[in-house]
Amino acid sequence: MSALLELRNVSRAFRTTLAVNDVSFAVQPGELLGLIGPNGAGKSTLFNLIAGVLPPSSGQILFDGKQVTGWKSHDIARVGIARTFQIPKPYRQLSVVENVMLSAFLREKSIAGARKLAEATLADIGLADYAGLPANLLTVGLLKRLEVARALAMQPKLVLFDEIMAGLTPTEVGAMTRLVAELPARGITVIWVEHVLYAIMKTATRMIVINRGKQIAEGTPAMMARDPAVVKAYLGEEMILA
Amino acid sequence: MSMVIPAPISSRRIPVLPKRGQISWFEIVLLVMSFGLVVSGIAPSLQDVILLSFLFAGLGLAWNIAGGYAGLISFGHSAFFGVGAYTSTILLLRYDISPWIGIWAGAVIAGLFGAVLALICARLRGPFFILSTLAFAEVVRIGALNWASLTGGPEGLSIPPMASLVGMVFASKTTYAALMLGYLVFVYAITKGLEASRFGYYLFAIRDNEDAAGAAGVNPLLGRTAAIALSAALTGVGGSLFAQYFLYLDPTYVISPELSFQFALLPAVGGLGTAIGPVLGSFLITPLSELLRSHLGNAAAGLHLVIYSLGLIVVMLYFPTGLAGALNKLTHWRPFR
Amino acid sequence: MSTLLQLILSGILIGSVYALMSIGLTLIFGVLRIVNFAHGEFLMIAMYGAWAVSHLFGLNPYFAAIAIVPAMFLFGTVVYWLVISPALDKPHLVVVFATMALSIFLQNAALMAMTADLRDIPPVFNRSISIGPIYLKGELLLGFLITILCTVGLQWMSKKTYLGKAIRATVQDGEAAMLMGIPVPRIFLITFAGGSALVGLAACVMVPLFSVFPSVGLNFVLIAFVIVVLGGMGSIEGALAGGICVGVVQSLSGYYIAPAFGQMFFFVLFLLVMIFRPNGLLGQQGAAMVGMNE
Repeated sequence: MSALLELRNVSRAFRTTLAVNDVSFAVQPGELLGLIGPNGAGKSTLFNLIAGVLPPSSGQILFDGKQVTGWKSHDIARVGIARTFQIPKPYRQLSVVENVMLSAFLREKSIAGARKLAEATLADIGLADYAGLPANLLTVGLLKRLEVARALAMQPKLVLFDEIMAGLTPTEVGAMTRLVAELPARGITVIWVEHVLYAIMKTATRMIVINRGKQIAEGTPAMMARDPAVVKAYLGEEMILA
Repeated sequence: MSMVIPAPISSRRIPVLPKRGQISWFEIVLLVMSFGLVVSGIAPSLQDVILLSFLFAGLGLAWNIAGGYAGLISFGHSAFFGVGAYTSTILLLRYDISPWIGIWAGAVIAGLFGAVLALICARLRGPFFILSTLAFAEVVRIGALNWASLTGGPEGLSIPPMASLVGMVFASKTTYAALMLGYLVFVYAITKGLEASRFGYYLFAIRDNEDAAGAAGVNPLLGRTAAIALSAALTGVGGSLFAQYFLYLDPTYVISPELSFQFALLPAVGGLGTAIGPVLGSFLITPLSELLRSHLGNAAAGLHLVIYSLGLIVVMLYFPTGLAGALNKLTHWRPFR
Repeated sequence: MSTLLQLILSGILIGSVYALMSIGLTLIFGVLRIVNFAHGEFLMIAMYGAWAVSHLFGLNPYFAAIAIVPAMFLFGTVVYWLVISPALDKPHLVVVFATMALSIFLQNAALMAMTADLRDIPPVFNRSISIGPIYLKGELLLGFLITILCTVGLQWMSKKTYLGKAIRATVQDGEAAMLMGIPVPRIFLITFAGGSALVGLAACVMVPLFSVFPSVGLNFVLIAFVIVVLGGMGSIEGALAGGICVGVVQSLSGYYIAPAFGQMFFFVLFLLVMIFRPNGLLGQQGAAMVGMNE
């Protein structure tokens, strides 16, 4: 089975610092890949490379067998990769449903069609009550859910979740974890960066651990919990396991 | 003594202002009133004010497509005004081409200038974008001033005042007023159409959060270029119409920072990012401007600009959503809460 | 050969004067994160003031600085209180429109008060100072010296005084500075007023070299912005380096390329820098990123 996303020897340097150092991995369709690592490990940079915000300094990125190295973010989006932003970026002067409609336009070209898709997505995420509200009135927790809604409205093949649990209440974490866990069954492959470890350990089918720009471990969540290199990287941080 | 409980006020708001993409009774009333003004046969001096109000409303709307909808605030739009005006006038004077056709040539050329500006400013945001629009307009002005063989240089160009339908010169101010109202309705229709379209939403997204728009598949450079080019083309049409009315063009008036400022002032006062805003702004400010000009004459050159700019400062600091925003707040006032 | 040297040297000198008028702008940019579109008009007002003081009291403009610099500090304070401060917590375009309107207001107020006639003051030095085959205008040399002294003084203040450190902290992170007990609103006021005072000093140096008229600000504000972009926002040494670059380019191109470029030069230079190096000479965060949605 050919990989959906493939990174080959991808590196990204900022002046003299290598934020991402020779990372290679493949993601198969239907996987729920967890990407964890201590702060500053380079996970966000890696996301930005895949999402087209930054070009890699070296290496290749392939999606669905096609070379997408160095593509800009709007072309990456059109080819089927959606992403959320760690710090939410809503369209503040538009309403919640209009925020999602923008993403829905990728699939539905008419205003009515996009609105329907947006409303359905909002219902999925539990934001239907807020549909007409201006986005600048939402709290951070709701904005994070809006980020997820926007990504899903694009009906992507691959979605990149960037710390979507931060700022959510425990109930919301539970609901969001269930939602994310269902996505592979709906045909959406997931790459998930997260610090709320118990959520990701419960749902991921495979995990990659990054530290200082390099991959230091790869395997199932259970293996990660026992891997000495991983424990060392997280030294000083509490690991909460399900 | 029993308490008197006031009857509940109906919570259904009566919207005064048009919602995005929909026509409201307010707009229809305004349109009918405007049309009435045109055909009613008021004194010619007032007719000047009326037709200029229509023209500047259209120009404000055109500016608003880039400035209010796409968030690209330009203080150099008089360059497009001038390019449109000069194109149609040169085609008329040199090649006998009727302005009814020349206007569209002017729109195309102005649109091209707009696209060039957008490309120059592709990597610029915020204040540097704004300054670049200023610099661009000055380059165009100085170019027009120096390229005398094409534009007549500082002497400018004059259109012979012979009334003719083909030549778009009219003896009666009423006809001009109808023409300008037609322009206003034309640009207004385009604006409303934009609001209700996917492209309009793309512009709002680019304005509100360019990064998120890119992640949703919107190409920011394409959106910006299209917005500025459209805005420029429509401004150019207004320029051509002005040339046919004023019958004289010279670079220093037609491509000036003061004129550019006015194009931005009207939407800012009326309400950026709304369709009705520039119209309200023009209907308020243009008559004021003409009033000041006629009473103070040229004795105090620049006084009317002193008054506007002060007025704009006050409006910006205390009513940043403009007239439209203020009217909106009024309709939410519940007397018995 | 000596022509080239002459051009380069006078370019450096005039560039330093340009730098002096840009330091205020770069500091305001760095600290308040706003663009003062009326910066050129501040310079214009100060130049009129310097001209007036020279004219009325027969002083040379360098002595006029004693009056003009504090007057501009006061002027900056008033503008800050009335226009800038209320605009700071509003959406960004409010400050844009407000300072733009301020610019139009000042230009036209000057037009009403002073008419469009050019104002000059007679040269301060009777002949150029000659160093070997090179002739340098005394006013330019003095301007250069004043700029260097000013830059050195500001650098010292920036590194050694509390105020300087507070300003640098605010440039880096205003919120963090506030949390550390730095009175950021007062820093804003001092920076804005101080920047205006620096513009006043620059005006006194420039009045012997340039005529004053109500719209003279437009040319200079574009130069100032080029300098700020090239040198990096908030950087005083950057402003000096950028200024010298611009001065040398202007000097050389005025001679070797068609002088008919004339008026257009400032604007074309500005646009060229914006197209090719919006991130400054050294690739710092600059024009390309300012004003990106927060």
